[in-house]
Amino acid sequence: MSSSPVAGPAPTGPTSGTGTGATGRHAPDRPHGPGRRAPRIRPVSAGARRGPRRRVARYWPQYLAISPYYVIFTVFMLFPVLYTVFLAFQKWDGIGDMHFVGFQQFRFLWDDPVFWLSVRNTLVIWVLSTVPMLFMALVLAVLVNSTKRLTAFYRVALFIPSITSLVAVAIFFGAVFSNNFGLINAILRALHLSAVPWMSNEWTIKLVISALMTWQWTGYNAIIYLAGLQAIPSELYEAARMDGAGPVRIFRSITIPLLRPIILFTVVISTVTGLQSFTEPQVLFGSEAATNPNSGGPGQAGLTTLLYFYHQAFDNNDFGYGAAIVWAFFLLILLIVVINWRLVQRKERRS
Amino acid sequence: MDLSRRRFLQAAVLTAAAAGATAACGGGSASSGAKDSKNLSLWYWSGGLSDKVVGDAKKHFSGISLKTSVVGGDFKTKLLTGLRAAQSAPDITGIKGEDIASFLPNADRFVDLKTVGADKLVPQYLSWKLKQATTQDGKLIGFPIDIGPCATFYREDLFAQAGLPTDPTEVSAQLATWDDYFRAGVELHKAVPKTFLVNNIGSVFTMVVGQGTQRFIDEDGRFIGDQDHIRTAWTTAVKPYTLGIDAKINDNTWNAAVSGGTLGTEIGAAWHALDISNAAPGTKGKWRVASLPGGPSNLGGSFLAVPATSGNPEEAFKIISWILGPENQARGFTDAALFPTAPAAYKLPALTGGDAFFGGQKTIEIFGPAAEKIPTAYEAPADAAVSAPFYSELTSIEAKGKDPDEAWKDAVAQAKQIAQRQGVK
Repeated sequence: MSSSPVAGPAPTGPTSGTGTGATGRHAPDRPHGPGRRAPRIRPVSAGARRGPRRRVARYWPQYLAISPYYVIFTVFMLFPVLYTVFLAFQKWDGIGDMHFVGFQQFRFLWDDPVFWLSVRNTLVIWVLSTVPMLFMALVLAVLVNSTKRLTAFYRVALFIPSITSLVAVAIFFGAVFSNNFGLINAILRALHLSAVPWMSNEWTIKLVISALMTWQWTGYNAIIYLAGLQAIPSELYEAARMDGAGPVRIFRSITIPLLRPIILFTVVISTVTGLQSFTEPQVLFGSEAATNPNSGGPGQAGLTTLLYFYHQAFDNNDFGYGAAIVWAFFLLILLIVVINWRLVQRKERRS
Repeated sequence: MDLSRRRFLQAAVLTAAAAGATAACGGGSASSGAKDSKNLSLWYWSGGLSDKVVGDAKKHFSGISLKTSVVGGDFKTKLLTGLRAAQSAPDITGIKGEDIASFLPNADRFVDLKTVGADKLVPQYLSWKLKQATTQDGKLIGFPIDIGPCATFYREDLFAQAGLPTDPTEVSAQLATWDDYFRAGVELHKAVPKTFLVNNIGSVFTMVVGQGTQRFIDEDGRFIGDQDHIRTAWTTAVKPYTLGIDAKINDNTWNAAVSGGTLGTEIGAAWHALDISNAAPGTKGKWRVASLPGGPSNLGGSFLAVPATSGNPEEAFKIISWILGPENQARGFTDAALFPTAPAAYKLPALTGGDAFFGGQKTIEIFGPAAEKIPTAYEAPADAAVSAPFYSELTSIEAKGKDPDEAWKDAVAQAKQIAQRQGVK
């Protein structure tokens, strides 16, 4: 059972099927669609109507055991999601009457320069954070994998940033990068360099937010890569070394290809989480202000799409427009994920 | 890869669910027997009322069990969610000053306080403040907790260094217009180069708009943010930027700027005194308060309201009027810097005493007269939403050096668009 009702039409293809567990894990080259799907689908069509129903009856304790997740998911996730679809076609201030407005919210969205600015901001921040993050994570993972001592310590150290409170980290980064009183500018001044207005220039604002995200998630991705690295049989490395391959060659010809599924996973996850940056700019740029809260800082340079959505829905009470923003943004994320997926997969096929 | 796809789907769903899920979370935080006339619940936020006065109210109304919840986080969102069901709605609730206008179109969700006894008390309270909570057909949905009469807070020591007047009366007299004020700022900056006059130009804009009798939308629901009164406020706000006396602080460095002497003056509401004394305890005794250049203005100030689902509206209003009686308002001023809305309180010792942070100055002499002279302006439900682009564009001038005229054009264009979305003509 997958959460397909909403994202079902995702053209991400039959590669992963509907299997839930270890199916397909063992096959490193993961055959596409038909070959794998056939034996699992067969019984349903053959065993007539009563088949699945009888199975539900027979396995009811198991279904009951897993039901809390799906019940909670339905109430707190699925229903709100479907409700936002409905909301996107209404004008609603949160407590008053709703008015059906058709596609008007989406027309507003199309003409709204601030929405497009927020999309640009989000994409820039995403690229600035994801690319160095995944690169550094891979390097860190290879380094940790090659050491024999203190490995447990390194693993814990890598993981700590990702379990640190995001708000605390954002406040800390805000203090470190503060224009007049921050640590970085104090160091720059001590070195007789000119201070950088980190928190008021439109590019450095994005850099600070990206640095924050990179700091927080590099370790997490490194741990995932590390797990992947340790699953690569050491015989392969030995064989390569026997054949006279150097460390760079080994990395490129063995590590990278065998790690590709893991890389695909981290790319997709980083895309989805990276594009959802919200708390970082919200905390960095005064969400408490009574006038113009959640505007994304000077020049709205830190206004990410989700922050803009929050601002429209919860500061301006324009819930219909907020819903339209998140749905438009959902489609955008979907598009980017599909592009990423295709890119990484094409390489896989080629190798 | 099963895992990645499932996680992907979940995360994607999560994105879209943010709206609904956030709204859904707010509901569970309080339970109240809404139909119960003996158990009343009161929602406010930390610092929104004097905790001591609220504590005494529980004892004073012995026949009623008053259950108070200090609601954290985004108060308005939680209230919106709570109001959707009688079971979850409070019997008395605070409403922040910046949110009151957005509740007026749904006045039927609240009890008209004039029907439960407020009509007799109205003359004792500031009329311009009551008007903010009054619908166009005359219903009063909120009773005012506090106001934010604005003034100029200035560093007496830095003013002395720059050869400027230091006595509050003289400062008020000589810095009477915005141009006087900016001129003094230039002198101040020349004498003390690290010191700027204003923390950012958005604060000037707020003040000048507040000094007018019109805001961004008029009573007929027409957008007037492109007209002269706003344009004047904009031009005034941009001046300190062009004069180089704007500290351009739009981030969290304000605290350090206040304590470090980067800011020679602060223009803000009476409650802003608390911000300054918290941020810069070391500057105690160096600050003074003078009248705001260009006339009185108000910033903020909250209300107490009774949702229509309240179990006992009469008793609820009795509690409100007790908490907000002049004596208790004076206590609120001492405990939580809530500036009273009943002018009778201005004569009470809690307000007439000197303030050590301001070198013993009797600040009521500045704030009291200002409070009674604040202009009445119509604030439309969408006012805050429509004004947002002006503030954003002002920060663009400061952050990117954007041309002020171009910024004005963009601000007006965006404001018009928001106005259209919000159903403003």
